Amino acid sequence: MSDSTHPEGNVAIFFCRQLDPEQDANRRPLEKELGSKVRFFPLPCSGRIEALHFLKALETGARKVYLVACPEGACRYGQGNVRARKRLDFAKALIREIGLADDCLELVTAKGPSPISIDDIARSLLA
Amino acid sequence: MITAERKPFAEIKAAVAPYGKILVVGCGTCVAECAAGGEKETALLASQLRLDARNEARTVDVKEVTLDRQCIYEFIDQLFPLVDQYDAILSLGCGAGVQAMAEVLPKIHIVPALNTTSISETMEQGVWREDCRGCGDCKLDRFADICPITRCAKGLFNGPCGGSKEGHCEVDPDVPCAWHLIITRMEETGRLESMSEIEPPADWSRTQGKGPRKIVREDQKTP
Repeated sequence: MSDSTHPEGNVAIFFCRQLDPEQDANRRPLEKELGSKVRFFPLPCSGRIEALHFLKALETGARKVYLVACPEGACRYGQGNVRARKRLDFAKALIREIGLADDCLELVTAKGPSPISIDDIARSLLA
Repeated sequence: MITAERKPFAEIKAAVAPYGKILVVGCGTCVAECAAGGEKETALLASQLRLDARNEARTVDVKEVTLDRQCIYEFIDQLFPLVDQYDAILSLGCGAGVQAMAEVLPKIHIVPALNTTSISETMEQGVWREDCRGCGDCKLDRFADICPITRCAKGLFNGPCGGSKEGHCEVDPDVPCAWHLIITRMEETGRLESMSEIEPPADWSRTQGKGPRKIVREDQKTP
């Protein structure tokens, strides 16, 4: 399968902001370091993700899109992270349909209870 | 509502291949409810087309818009200022929507992106089941409001075929036997004695086989 994502493109990170209540401050250092090479999109819950978010991220220059969700059973809204998985799978099917490699989209389940610094999570993804 | 499913991307891609400027038009009514052609699905398809073109280093101009309904001419009129900018319209309307668009916009090629399937109900979020075939001679009250034409695989009018197993259809074991449902509901609502009345075969000639059906209401027409 071909990879249509931008080889020089950025990394988009959608994440549940319940993981890191200080996310607004914690992501700034990385944004300052990497500039437009990383884009953060806080969500009130990972279950608010839509397949369109993934495709739009790819359209606008992402080479990799992460969705960071709460651990299983830890979603404060019940099933948000379960819904997130289904939406990601749907988006992957759309990506495969146009002949792209679906590994450009990835669900990351945070380990351990919140709060976890989004800066730490992002650095581990970008390492 | 009318339900539909999006065509495979490969089929859509082949159909719009000759065109460099495509307007993707969604519909905000039935096909939005069944998540086939609403605003979200329209944006997704447009995005897929752009990503696909970029992957193949092709240039294509794809924009999207969603009408409240594609089957009402007054809503389609909203496209007049746009249509000259495009080579084709990719419609995520049902079959009625595609044809209505072609009536209003006869000079541009309208390509259907959906396969219209049925008249259905939403059983739960994400699940739609066909309920009605539009036979034009509704007798649902005779069958405890469960349509034997649509929901019985054999379209039987006077009781079960005898092939059902544990209340499920022998043609498709995932489907409840319609007559099992009908008789159960008749029992529960005290109407079982109506089963003794024989329902004659449908006279399809009254409503079918004469081309497209049309309803005219003079009291509704504008003078």
